[in-house]
Amino acid sequence: MTAGLRSAEQPRAMDVAIRCAIIGAALATSLIHASLGGALFTMNAAGYAVLAVAMAAPGPFAAERWLVRLALLGFTAATIGGWLLFGARFELAYIDKVIEIVLIVLLIVELWRQDGGPSGIARRARHLARRPVASGSARA
Amino acid sequence: MRRLAARCLAIVGLACLAACSTSAQADGPPPIPASGSASIAADRSTFDRERLDVPADTAFQLLFENREGVLHNVAIVDPANGTTPFVGEIFGGPGWRMYQVPALPGGTYAFRCDVHLEMSGTLVAD
Repeated sequence: MTAGLRSAEQPRAMDVAIRCAIIGAALATSLIHASLGGALFTMNAAGYAVLAVAMAAPGPFAAERWLVRLALLGFTAATIGGWLLFGARFELAYIDKVIEIVLIVLLIVELWRQDGGPSGIARRARHLARRPVASGSARA
Repeated sequence: MRRLAARCLAIVGLACLAACSTSAQADGPPPIPASGSASIAADRSTFDRERLDVPADTAFQLLFENREGVLHNVAIVDPANGTTPFVGEIFGGPGWRMYQVPALPGGTYAFRCDVHLEMSGTLVAD
């Protein structure tokens, strides 16, 4: 309930700060991956850039920001997992992993503040799952 | 709000610095490899050869020329046990490094770039 109300209220300074930090971290790691060259890193950089833009974009993205947040969280976790399994250990990689861990922490904090934690996410997911069924039955 | 923007800019700036800090300056033209040594180059995220022949049971020099501004290295992997008998320094080009590789027992090894695992080939110590 509070999570739903919060989005309609004026954003607080802390919320703006967290959002700015998330976008900054996502763009920073995108830049680092782009500097590494190769198809895989370029695609990874593009993924981070698109999700960073989606985190800031108004309009339809704002209504479904929780999905963007989850996508960025999953994308970052997958990137760290991929590096742990196959990645090279060098200075820039370690710097990038620190940025990605900070990004994950910030996303979790925002997920709690904006979506009300896992229970809030589950509620939104249930609502989303019901939506197409409801519109489909309305059409029928 | 201004402080926030400054912090965001600082994060991006730090990342830029980090991205640039590992790039080596052009070290001039690479030397001509001595006899018994091997050479390989990387450009457009590809090695210029798929096979390297080196002497067995003898330490050798491996000249690695990185022709692009992307991080690369050469690492030698023993596919029999997955160990890496040699890992070369990762650096951004254009530039070169003369790696000092320890003696390898005779056999077939793999070489690769640790940053771009798709860049690989076969090294034969004979």
